[in-house]
Amino acid sequence: MRILNQIIAVCTINLKSLPQRFWLSLSTVVAVAMVVTVLLSFLALAAGFKRTLDGTGSESIAIMLRDGSQQEVNSVVALDQVRLIGEAPGIVRKQDGNPLVSGELYVIVDGVRRSTGLKANLPLRGIGKDGAALRDGLTITQGRMFEPGSNEIVVGEGLIREFAGFDLGSEVRLGTGTWKVVGVFSMNGAVFESELWGDVAVVQSLFRRGSSFQTVRVRLETPEAIDLLRDYVAGEPRLKLEVFSEKGYFAGQSSNTVKLIQNAGWPLAIAMALGALAGALNTMYSSVASRSREIATLRCLGFGGFPSFVATLLESLVLAGIGGLIGSLGIFLFFDGFSTSTLGQGFTQIVFTVSLTPALVKQGIVLALIVGLIGGFFPALRAARLPIVSAYAQG
Amino acid sequence: MTDFSLILANLFSRKLRAILMLVAIFFAFLIFGVLAGVQNGFNNIGGSAGENRLVTINKINFTQPMPISYIERIRAVEGVARASYANWFGGYYQEGRNQIVTFAIDPEFYMDIYATDYKLSADQRAAFLADRSGLLVGQKLAERWGWKLGDRIPLSSNIYTNKNTGKQTWDFTIVGILEPAQENADTSVAFFHHAYFNESVTFGRDTAGWIVIETADKALNTDVSKRIDAMFANSPAETATDTEKAFNQAFVGQLGNITLIVTLVVGAAFATILMIVGNTMAMAVRERTKEIGVMKTLGFPSGRIFKMVLGESLLLAMLGGLPALGVSALLLEMMRKSVGFPGLALTLDFTALGIAIMLALGLLTGIIPAWNALRLNIVTALGRQ
Repeated sequence: MRILNQIIAVCTINLKSLPQRFWLSLSTVVAVAMVVTVLLSFLALAAGFKRTLDGTGSESIAIMLRDGSQQEVNSVVALDQVRLIGEAPGIVRKQDGNPLVSGELYVIVDGVRRSTGLKANLPLRGIGKDGAALRDGLTITQGRMFEPGSNEIVVGEGLIREFAGFDLGSEVRLGTGTWKVVGVFSMNGAVFESELWGDVAVVQSLFRRGSSFQTVRVRLETPEAIDLLRDYVAGEPRLKLEVFSEKGYFAGQSSNTVKLIQNAGWPLAIAMALGALAGALNTMYSSVASRSREIATLRCLGFGGFPSFVATLLESLVLAGIGGLIGSLGIFLFFDGFSTSTLGQGFTQIVFTVSLTPALVKQGIVLALIVGLIGGFFPALRAARLPIVSAYAQG
Repeated sequence: MTDFSLILANLFSRKLRAILMLVAIFFAFLIFGVLAGVQNGFNNIGGSAGENRLVTINKINFTQPMPISYIERIRAVEGVARASYANWFGGYYQEGRNQIVTFAIDPEFYMDIYATDYKLSADQRAAFLADRSGLLVGQKLAERWGWKLGDRIPLSSNIYTNKNTGKQTWDFTIVGILEPAQENADTSVAFFHHAYFNESVTFGRDTAGWIVIETADKALNTDVSKRIDAMFANSPAETATDTEKAFNQAFVGQLGNITLIVTLVVGAAFATILMIVGNTMAMAVRERTKEIGVMKTLGFPSGRIFKMVLGESLLLAMLGGLPALGVSALLLEMMRKSVGFPGLALTLDFTALGIAIMLALGLLTGIIPAWNALRLNIVTALGRQ
């Protein structure tokens, strides 16, 4: 109990005297805050991108691409294949008994980024008349849906945010035709919000794609019915298609980009953390040096070395912890929710918002505390072993 | 005792502190060096592009093809020395994840235009021209998969279907290995005859993905681009022509703003280190107040003391920073060899910038302590505890 009281007493003295070492302590706080800021900015970028792709798609929608094409943009599906899919078992049919199926075309067009004015690839998707019914969570937030057979398009909310020239009512030239923007849609932050949608027949004709499609989309009676559909496709030689659940298709696409961002972020943060560690050690050694008489006095009064050790370590942890919190708060205030876009695997831009999750903040704080722990440990050891006589002899 | 050895003795009067400072500075400049190298790599993606090389693409987007007949019309344009075309094959070897950058090219002119990038011996060139199913592979690619001249290998496409087999695979014979003709050339590529591609694909026949043009002189670039784009204006496939460098950089630009990230990170790291070093320098000089007072008493002029304190912080910055630049150059060298990303190197520009930053760091952190030391009054100095 006595040792505990000693620890509390020394820690209190120590923390209360922090303002005397204000500038040096501040440098540690800022250094650690910088490290955490850099780490979290990378991790939050990766998390935002992952959330957009993982949040896209439902288990009860199946999409089919030509076998081996890997990406929509590479795929080709013929009209008779779309018709054959309409006869597949396990898919939802409309009231009139006709299949609910959408053959879709995916062409890449140029857009201009609002922030930099540079060109970027945007997807223009031609969807069938059942295309909208095959998308869960779709809402038209402004204007209306395009009229079939007309050269009207609706634009995703994410795309409007990042790219110029697609505002409601404006006319845009895509390919050889001029299109009118008649509506804006949202879809719970899904990848589709980075797309332009028009009528598939019009896209086919204006981009001279004949009657070919790139993907087929159906709604499954139950998520398990995907196996029925797979068996049907495998047993029909005219259908060389690969069947994915919509969720599975998009979930597989985030991993490379996310890995790339994380692989850049961690080494940078660790290199910076080593720099910050040097700073923290410095601060704490100076703190011990400036308190050497105080520590020696306490020892004369009968305090043990251990309370000094704990107090020094605590000071370091507190400084690093504050730094970690400031860094996290900075990211939360200035970067969280920031909208940006990068090239996805489909060779078009995917718009996403940076997202700082509690798990990431934890990682940042842990890194900060590690810096604080190592940065405090050795100086604390010195504080505990400080020879009383030489402490008085100094200065 | 020279001034330099005095500065050195002062700097290392507290060994641990000096070493910690050096480590902090070392890491700051290590980050700077590596990021600058990566930045240079990105800048250089268009760097191997010849100055008189233009690229014509479909105006809609570069993924949209254009009629192959355009090539003859472009060759007739005034100022065009040579022109060739290529298609993106979407190639992979055996499995989808083994992506191979593969182009179907017009065999005669393409390799001539890119002679600045790839070395191809005369007999291998002749062998390629003679064999429709011949494949040219870059050195790096051949090393990676252990391919040799004369090997027969299948390459698959994730876009096209071979109408002769109904599969996505084509068979090739390796007839040439491309060696890099310059340091920045990327040899992890493969080329084959456009004719072989054209006769066997189920769709996309008679189209060119893009056309590459060599102008007679780089001064003609703008005129030639304008002439070509005007020629195809109001046609079903309008074109956009730009220099190859601009085209490549626009492509990289799609990834997002890399320069900004690099600048921000280096800025953050640098500000941090500046603060740590500045604070410690100030402290170190304060601790030596008495010493400085003694030196002044002994007759050291104030100017000399000023220089010595400033010299100390400059020396610190250099001792930490210069090795870091050296190590980052080595790291970049290793990265360049292992990932095959040409242009990853610490250029003279960035080295000079790094050294300039070191000087600035040394001056900024040293100036206030040095000024204080300069103005220090002997009586106060000796009287201070």
